[in-house]
Amino acid sequence: MSLVEARGLTKIFRRPEKDPGLRGSLKHLVQRRFKEFRAVDGIDLSIEAGESVAYVGPNGAGKSTTIKLLTGILVPTAGTVRVAGAEPHTDRMVNARNIGVLFGQRTQLWWDLPVRESLGLLRDMYDLSPAFYKQRLERLDDVLGLADLLPVVARKLSLGQRMRADLAAALLHAPKIVYLDEPTIGLDISVKDRVRQFLRELREDGTTLMLTTHDLGDIEDVCERIVIIDEGRKIFDGPLAQMKDRFARVRRMHLQLAEPTPAEKLAERLPDVEVVAGASPTEVTVTFDRFTHTAGQVIAAVLDVVEVGELHLDEPAIEDVVRKVYAGELLR
Amino acid sequence: MRPYLGLLRMSTRRILTYRLNSLILWIGGATFLAGSLAVWHALLSQGEIGGYDWDQMKAYLLIGWASGAIGSAYGDWWMADRILDGHVATDLTKPLDYQWARFSEHMGGLATEFIAIAIAATAIVTFTGGMVVPGPVQALLFTVSFLLVAPLKFAITYITTMACFWTQNFMGVSWAKDAIVTLFSGALIPLALLPAWLAGPAAVLPFASITATPAALYLGQATGWEALRLLAVQAVWILVLWWGARLIWRRALRALTVHGG
Repeated sequence: MSLVEARGLTKIFRRPEKDPGLRGSLKHLVQRRFKEFRAVDGIDLSIEAGESVAYVGPNGAGKSTTIKLLTGILVPTAGTVRVAGAEPHTDRMVNARNIGVLFGQRTQLWWDLPVRESLGLLRDMYDLSPAFYKQRLERLDDVLGLADLLPVVARKLSLGQRMRADLAAALLHAPKIVYLDEPTIGLDISVKDRVRQFLRELREDGTTLMLTTHDLGDIEDVCERIVIIDEGRKIFDGPLAQMKDRFARVRRMHLQLAEPTPAEKLAERLPDVEVVAGASPTEVTVTFDRFTHTAGQVIAAVLDVVEVGELHLDEPAIEDVVRKVYAGELLR
Repeated sequence: MRPYLGLLRMSTRRILTYRLNSLILWIGGATFLAGSLAVWHALLSQGEIGGYDWDQMKAYLLIGWASGAIGSAYGDWWMADRILDGHVATDLTKPLDYQWARFSEHMGGLATEFIAIAIAATAIVTFTGGMVVPGPVQALLFTVSFLLVAPLKFAITYITTMACFWTQNFMGVSWAKDAIVTLFSGALIPLALLPAWLAGPAAVLPFASITATPAALYLGQATGWEALRLLAVQAVWILVLWWGARLIWRRALRALTVHGG
C-alpha cells in the first residue's frame, strides 16, 4: 500500500445563494437557498514513500481542500483516505505525528512570542528528546539561517523570515510526509531559492513531499511528479517529462537567415506550420507540432529556400502546459 | 501532559506580553466593582435587602466580580478568532486534543487573574473596613467551589466560541453570552432578588454555579448536605458541558470550511 492513498475523495461545500443587493440578503433570511459546490470531486491519488509531488491547478481548483482532507483538517463528504495506514480525520492525532504541514498564507508561530518559544512548544508537542531537538535546530539553522530568527517575536518578522521560521516549525519533528501549501508565496527570488534548495535536500533525505504552488519554478526545481487538477478533478498525474510529452506539443524554432526572406515564401514550403517574420528581415520564427514535424524536416524545408546562419530551439516549457490548463484549453 | 503544560505557560507569557492591555482591563474591572459597591452601600443604608446586609453584600460583590474575572485574561475572542481566521486548521494538524489544548491556554490566564483578585480583595478590606470571614468548613467548601468555576467557565466559553463555525461571526454570540451569564449567574444582582419568571430559569441553568454557588458557600447560606449538593451540581455541569462540547465539536468539524490558503 502507498504511503498516501486516496480513493474517490470528495468534498462538497454548501454555499448560500443570495440574489444581489439588500433585497437579496433580506430574501435569503426567510427563504434560504444553498448551492452545492464540489471543491474536490472524486480524486484518486497514491503517493509512494520518498516521492515529491507537485499539486497544481488554477485558483479554486481544490488544491488546498485536498491538502486539508489529507491532513485530517476536513472530513470528506465521500471517498476514503489513508495516510501511513491511518485515516486522517478519525485518527487525527496519530496522523498528526507523521506529518508536517505548512500553510504559506497562515503562520503556526505564536504571534506575540519569540520564535524560540514556538519551537520549544513544538518540541513538547512531539515529545522530542533534548539531543534530537538540538540536532534538528542545528540542521535547520544550516539551511534556513534560523539562529538569527530565534529571539525575534514572530509578528516582527518579515514575510521571508516568517516563512523560514514556519518551515522550521513544520519540519522540526522530522515528519515522514510534508505538505506544503504555497511555500514560496510572496517571497523574493533569493529567499525562494533558499527554500527550494531546502526542499531538494529534504527530498534527498527521503522525506515524502507534496506541494501546491502557483510558482512553476518550485515544480521544476523540486518535484519529479506533477498532478494537475481543475474544478476538483484530476486531469493529469505523472512524471514531469511525461506531462510535457503529452501536452506540450508545440516547439518553436528561431532562425537567422543568410539573406532577407519573406515569411510567406517559407510558409509555402511548410504547410501546417506557422511562420512569423522576426525583428529584422533576416529573422523568422517557426512554430510547429513536434508530433507532425521533426526539427530536421523544418530545417530541410527552409534550406531549400535560403541558407541558415544560426538557429535556436525553444523546448516546450511546463509553463505553457499549465497556462493552457488554467485557460481551460486542455481536454479532460 | 507536557505539551498541555507547555501551552499553559505560553498562554501566560502571551498575556504578560501585553501588560498594558491587561492593566487597562483590570482598571476597568476595578472601576465597575467600586461602582457596584457604592450603589449597594447606598441601597443598604436603609437596612438589609433580600437577606443581605452591607457586610455580606460586600463579600458577595467581590465573589461575583472574582468569578467574572476568571477566564477574562485569556479572553473568549482569542479562541473565537482562531476559528474565524482559519488558524484552527493549523491547530488540527497538531497531535493534541483540541479541547484540552484550549483548556490549557484558558488556565494560563489564571495566574494574572488570581493576582488581580487578591489586589481587589485587599483593597476592599482596607478601604471598607474588613470582610465577613467564613468558618473553616465553609471556607473549604468555598475554595473547592471557586476552583471549579475555572473549568465551568471554560466549558461555557468554549461552547460559545464554537458557534462561530456556523455564525461566522462572534460579536452577537459573545454579547448574548455575556449578558446571559451575568444575569443568570447572579453576578449582576443576587439570584434571590430576581422576580420568579427569571429565578426559575436561573435555578435550572448552569450559570448559577459560577457566582451564586461559591457566594452561598462563602456566606454560609448553604451548609451541610445543601452545600454538598451545590458542589455536586457544579461538578455535574462541568462534566455535562465538557462532554457536550465534544459532541458539538464533532459536528462543528463537519461544518468546518476553511477558505483560501
